[in-house]
Amino acid sequence: MSDKPKRKPLDLRRREMPKQAPEVRSHNFNEVALGYTAQTAVEEAKRCIQCPKPKCVSNCPVEINIPGFIKCIAEGNFAEGARVLKDKNCLPAVCGRVCPQEEQCEETCVLVKKEGQIAVGRLERFLADWEAAQGELEIPPMELPTGKKVAVVGGGPAGLTVAGDLIKLGHKVTIFEALHKMGGVLIYGIPEFRLPKAIVSREVEYLGSLGVEIVTDFVVGKTRKIDSLLDEYDAIFIGSGAGLPWFMDIPGENLNGVYSANEYLTRMNLMKGFSFPEYHTPIKSHKRVAVMGGGNVAMDCARTALRLGAEARIMYRRSKQELPARLEEIENAEEEGVIFEFLTLPLRYIGNENGWVKEIECLRMELGEPDSSGRRRPIPVEGSNFTLPMDAVICAIGNSPNPLIASTTPGLEMGKKGNIEADEETGQTSRERIWAGGDIVTGAATVILAMGAGRKAARSIHEYLCTH
Amino acid sequence: MSLDSVDKVLDFAIAKEEEAAQFYNDLAVKMGRKGMKEVFEGFAREEMGHMAKLMAVKEGKQLHASGAKVMDLKIGETVSDVQPSGDLSYQQALIIAMKAEKAAFKLYLDLAGTTDDPALKELFLSLAQEEAKHKLRFEIEYDDEILTEN
Repeated sequence: MSDKPKRKPLDLRRREMPKQAPEVRSHNFNEVALGYTAQTAVEEAKRCIQCPKPKCVSNCPVEINIPGFIKCIAEGNFAEGARVLKDKNCLPAVCGRVCPQEEQCEETCVLVKKEGQIAVGRLERFLADWEAAQGELEIPPMELPTGKKVAVVGGGPAGLTVAGDLIKLGHKVTIFEALHKMGGVLIYGIPEFRLPKAIVSREVEYLGSLGVEIVTDFVVGKTRKIDSLLDEYDAIFIGSGAGLPWFMDIPGENLNGVYSANEYLTRMNLMKGFSFPEYHTPIKSHKRVAVMGGGNVAMDCARTALRLGAEARIMYRRSKQELPARLEEIENAEEEGVIFEFLTLPLRYIGNENGWVKEIECLRMELGEPDSSGRRRPIPVEGSNFTLPMDAVICAIGNSPNPLIASTTPGLEMGKKGNIEADEETGQTSRERIWAGGDIVTGAATVILAMGAGRKAARSIHEYLCTH
Repeated sequence: MSLDSVDKVLDFAIAKEEEAAQFYNDLAVKMGRKGMKEVFEGFAREEMGHMAKLMAVKEGKQLHASGAKVMDLKIGETVSDVQPSGDLSYQQALIIAMKAEKAAFKLYLDLAGTTDDPALKELFLSLAQEEAKHKLRFEIEYDDEILTEN
């Protein structure tokens, strides 16, 4: 008989996370997903086989010790798990909710081949929420003050990461945020039902507790220019995001009732338009809303409009298979009753006598033969024009960086899409003492990629400050 | 200039490509941003490449329309016109290029309809097909770079 110990059979059953029922959540702005209980989190964590060379870590833009924090959960040591998690991630409650784990850490989990990949994002969220529920947040060890000062432009994910990393290394950090609240796209872009704003505020407060100075309502490029800040600060990090919306450049886009996704979501998320008159900026109530685009932002807009009582329709040029939004968000939208018009191209918006949009003329598309890149591109079907009555249109086809900072900072090199050019590994720009990262460099991307860029830039800024 | 011989048609087409290259070079000079300067300089180089190809045809190389129809995404037809003034965005640059190629395509197609000479007709149709390929190249770039979420 062999003495070899029997290997525990693999548990391939991913533990589901409870959600509000679709018919309930489609009428409120509360968070859709409800999070794991401690018992479910432990069960899920115990499924991790603790690979000796974990591919989940190498596929995480901020290199979180994923098996490390999962092991702590499996052992019921949540406090230590939170410590391990926050060692590399200053926004775990945010990332646990909005990161595309299915394309990153979970995609490279060895159990993915058997469709039993560990629910890393749900466990990350659990730990962050558990820690917050304990009350006092633990302050990590801090280096002695270096006397160096760093200005961070933009209070979004990239800026928050840079600030969190540099303050721990002993540098004095000030974040300048253009809006009246910190968080960037986390505050104005992502709706309450996907990312409650209290969570973002909690993460920002944590940075404040570490000593980061926060200045809001300060538009760098207008209130003060970058070169003026350089007189006072040793280094500057620009993480001002991608806040300039793209439109489709079709007739009728100047009609009333045609919004950019930025405007619509800012009115709802930052200005709390859905809580008028409790908040002071109302939003017009629409009956039939068309959202152009198929990404996460488009899903956010359609689901927001739906919650305000509208019939919400996603209009997308390609087929369901090509939708760029996360599968989870597409499923949520479908369950809640968002209508999808695939292979549909809006040609023009038609207004009424008062200048408000009243209908859309569209064209049906079909997918052509694969081209040399292997993609099947949408081609209009001749004569398939049709109109749909609509009293609001939201254009959610993408964003590029706001040109303000670049246009007021001589010598800062820009790419063709208005992005700041920065070294991929360090975030160093064409100007000395100026670094950049996140959407201002890459164009609109994910929260975790912005955080990854922030981490690399913080490392480079620290090296510079230690040698100059 | 009457376009009544193959050489004259080719000279006309070569001049058009040179004109287009100059147009993009002029726009490149007006751009404030390095990235956009490079975009227009790139477009100008492509036009010069087309010009060189036509000069080679004039020297004896063949230009035949392949029987296959060039895919038409019709993006250029659905977007509004852009006035080429001031600092332009990348999206506007691609719209200008798509519309210019569409106009050139239509010009050669119309010219093909004006002649009964089979050799000239074939040449005009070949030139039209070249322009359709150029338009498709810009439409694909627009599809990949601007319409990523649509």
